[in-house]
Amino acid sequence: METVPLTHILFVSTALFCIGMYGLFTRRNLITMLMAIELILNSVNINFVAFNKYLYPYKLDGIFFVIFIITIAAAEAAVAIAIIINQYRTHQSIDVEDATELKF
Amino acid sequence: MNALIFSAVSGVIMMFSSFLLNNKNSVRVLAHVLLLATIIANIFELRGISFFHIDTRGMLEFDRFALLFTLVANVCTFAFFLLSSRDLEKIGNHYSDYFSLLFFILAGIVVSSSFKSLLMLFLGIEILSIPLYILTGSDKRNLKSNEASLKYFLMGSFSTGLMLMGIALIYGATGTFQTGITVAEKVPVLLITGMMLLLFSMSFKVSAAPFHFWTPDVYDGAPTVVTSFMATVVKAAGFIAFMRLFAEEFGSIRPEWKLLVGIVAAVTLFIGNITAVFQQSVKRMLAYSSISQAGFMMLAIYSLSNDAKEGLILYAAAYSLATIGIFAVLVRMKDYTFEGFNGFAKQQPFLAGILVVFLLSLAGIPLTAGFLSKFYMLKATIDGGSLALAIFAVLMAAVSVYYYFRLIQSMYFKTGNATISGTTTGFKYTLAALAGITILLGIFPNLLTNWLYF
Amino acid sequence: MIVLLLFLVPLIGGFLSFFIKNDKTVRTWALLTSVITLLISIAGNTFAHSPGQLHFSSSWLGSLGSSFSLQLDGLSQILCLLTAISYPLILVSTWRSSYKTANNFFALMLLTQAGLMGVFLATDALLFYFFWELALVPMYFLCSGWGGERRIPVTFKFFIYTFTASVLMLIGLLYLYFQTPDRSFSLQSFYALKLSNDTQSWVFWLLFLAFAVKMPVFPFHTWQPDTYEQSPTAATMVLSAIMVKMGVYGVIRWVLPVVPIAAYSWGDVVMSLSVIGIIYASIIAIQQDDFKRLIAYSSIAHIGLMSATLFAETKIGYQGVMVQMFNHGINILGLWIIVELIERQFGTRKLSQLGGVAQKAPALAILFVILAFANISLPLTNAFIGEFLMFSGIWSSTVTHYNILFTVLAILSIILAAVYTLTAVQKVLYGPESSITEGTKDIHGNEKMVLWVIVIMVVVFGVYPQPLLRITDGFVDLLLNKINVAHLFVK
Repeated sequence: METVPLTHILFVSTALFCIGMYGLFTRRNLITMLMAIELILNSVNINFVAFNKYLYPYKLDGIFFVIFIITIAAAEAAVAIAIIINQYRTHQSIDVEDATELKF
Repeated sequence: MNALIFSAVSGVIMMFSSFLLNNKNSVRVLAHVLLLATIIANIFELRGISFFHIDTRGMLEFDRFALLFTLVANVCTFAFFLLSSRDLEKIGNHYSDYFSLLFFILAGIVVSSSFKSLLMLFLGIEILSIPLYILTGSDKRNLKSNEASLKYFLMGSFSTGLMLMGIALIYGATGTFQTGITVAEKVPVLLITGMMLLLFSMSFKVSAAPFHFWTPDVYDGAPTVVTSFMATVVKAAGFIAFMRLFAEEFGSIRPEWKLLVGIVAAVTLFIGNITAVFQQSVKRMLAYSSISQAGFMMLAIYSLSNDAKEGLILYAAAYSLATIGIFAVLVRMKDYTFEGFNGFAKQQPFLAGILVVFLLSLAGIPLTAGFLSKFYMLKATIDGGSLALAIFAVLMAAVSVYYYFRLIQSMYFKTGNATISGTTTGFKYTLAALAGITILLGIFPNLLTNWLYF
Repeated sequence: MIVLLLFLVPLIGGFLSFFIKNDKTVRTWALLTSVITLLISIAGNTFAHSPGQLHFSSSWLGSLGSSFSLQLDGLSQILCLLTAISYPLILVSTWRSSYKTANNFFALMLLTQAGLMGVFLATDALLFYFFWELALVPMYFLCSGWGGERRIPVTFKFFIYTFTASVLMLIGLLYLYFQTPDRSFSLQSFYALKLSNDTQSWVFWLLFLAFAVKMPVFPFHTWQPDTYEQSPTAATMVLSAIMVKMGVYGVIRWVLPVVPIAAYSWGDVVMSLSVIGIIYASIIAIQQDDFKRLIAYSSIAHIGLMSATLFAETKIGYQGVMVQMFNHGINILGLWIIVELIERQFGTRKLSQLGGVAQKAPALAILFVILAFANISLPLTNAFIGEFLMFSGIWSSTVTHYNILFTVLAILSIILAAVYTLTAVQKVLYGPESSITEGTKDIHGNEKMVLWVIVIMVVVFGVYPQPLLRITDGFVDLLLNKINVAHLFVK
């Protein structure tokens, strides 16, 4: 059976990374922004797994790294949700445009 | 290893201390004692006595550089505790949690300053960042604090994403997370791309231009006590990690990034200093000043010599002590603008005199630690072959005199009624001790830098 | 040991002054400290022939290639003597000025003195830079804290100017440090350097800029008149009598022997700037109505002559500069005292509002006229010796082709000096009495005593300058040796 070449997988992960970036910069809803960040992290996960499987198949470094990323991402999401809920309580909205107290 | 385990365990202890101790004072005392124990444990390790023998499989290496910085960070945090722990308690009801988060940050600092593997770099930076997101937003009823934490979280996790992508690409190119790669004649593109992504994400973390834009807002919005910690110890830790990463991981491909880092340093110096001149609020001025000082610290990464290492440690100490001192006074001021300091010297001649020492140190006037640390940086830069960058840096240092001396002018030469509350005798003596250390290090920097070697 | 004391006594005295709250006590303490410093300085000059006592070296910042080394040679002797003599005179003559928080004022004055002494004594570049700033920072606080109405922006400009130039000097010194084979900041290592011509030019401008701002040489002088005008008189005296000499000193010590070829090739440029400065400052001085500003501009003109002579590279010229550094310090001190007296008595410094003072205050008139003569450098005054030596130095210079032109233009300054000084004398002392000067009282007490001391020095050194010449004679020979050897090396 013919295997999928590495470049295809890298293409998918890069596309996911770019979609995540795009979402982070264009979306104004905090939950969507959080999802965009998760997309970025997951694209990195795909990268790690693919590199490990294709280039260095005798070690499991990349796969372990993925587990760390998933753990940290969960912690980050917890903090993020807390911040967003707090934001909702004060502003009654989770639109980032409504947070205008500090100007760039 | 001592400091890592001590601070992590201290964090856990502090978490539970609110159940066991009902009294604010005892919680505070406990935090001080635990931190002091951490410092002592760390000094033991610097002297070669380690309490724990855990095999980290070469992922962490507690060399003298890391240990010395850990010491500096812990001592600065201790100074921060002594000066500002009462203000920390005023942020909200969960006072013991703030201490526990600070201890976790310290653990993150240890990891990120002694990593030998990119995995540990990532973990260290995250352990250090996540508690900071929480601390930034800890003033829950304050809209500014909420937004600051939101902004900090978004920017922080974005840069984490970049960092991870960079690590993934480097893994693809080299097949290992251990630092100290060797490359063949031709540097693979994946490695270069990964290096660039790491450079960007680290620049985010240390707020070097052009990735500095979150800094003033976050520093302004966060509770002032937290800002004081963020802008000093945490930022210095970021630089130590930055330095370690680029010295060990990318040391062999230095020609590829040297120019870029030089440009980042120059731009950071320029933007930080020029914008700081126009600030009306002392807190925001200090935020921009932290960017401009970051520009000076970037020079260490540009030159990567022994001088630069010594200088970076000295810089971290000098800058952190001075900024923590100024912030400790600022927290107690009623008005955060420059006008709010008018006539300060009349009412508090002692405090004003100490603030002058700190400001002179930040501006880099001789006989203060700030001068010598800048001097080390310049020396390393000229040694690294860039006279022009050094000249640019000192011209920017001359600009920085403008905004630091504006505060001195307000305090001494203008009339007004600056209002400050809650200055106890102990507070004054602690500040005086910090000023003393600043001057002492300005005359005998070897007291600190010799620890790197003996 | 003596050299260490020269620096330590004012330093410690200054720090202690911060804690003396009583106004009278702190004044006495400051005066006592400065008198002790004067005695030490005189002792230093007496022991000038036993070198062991005039050198102090101790390890400091060894890892950076720097050491705490001080040395008292001919050049340092004359400038330390000037510093040491000026301080008691300044303190006595301003005895009656009242200051808020006097302890801080006198402490800063003494700290400045410590810095100045250090600058004149240091033989290590990093140490030199430390002292350079140590003299500058207290001065900033003095001028900003106790000066006139516009003091804050004016002194800030002064500080930024000097600081910017001095950090560039730091870069220059660091660059030289990396050129030395043994990685050291010591003066000897710097003197032993053989740099290429291009490098010398670079370093020359990095270093010279700091000294040019301090002197000040023509395009960098804009901070000076304002600062002199706005500063408290005691601080102005320190600034103009001693601090500007730091610039001249710096050029002699750190520029000429270290980068002789660049000094030679840029000599014409600097001399032209200086001569332009002389003429320009003199012409502006003629138009001044404010007495303080008049003297400030006159000082620019005098210093311009010195900086021009420095680059003429002749023995007689250097002798003149050495003597004139001392004499100019003494003379301008006298003039400031006169200004202070006039301002205190009449409440104004505007020449147009004064007049007819001579009739009621003959003692003031006589002293003022003698000092005015010294400012014009008439024969029998000390300035004559210095300026005459400098003119002949420029005239006989072999390093520039325009020596005659420079001399003629520089001599113009004497004529212009006569114009503005005598106009001032005339406007103040003679003519009809104005409403302000009706109740003129003559001077007495401290000021009179100090002025007499100064006038006696003016006359004595005008007639018998040998003591001053003897102090610096050996040093000038050494200096010329170093410069000329370097020139040979080029050829």
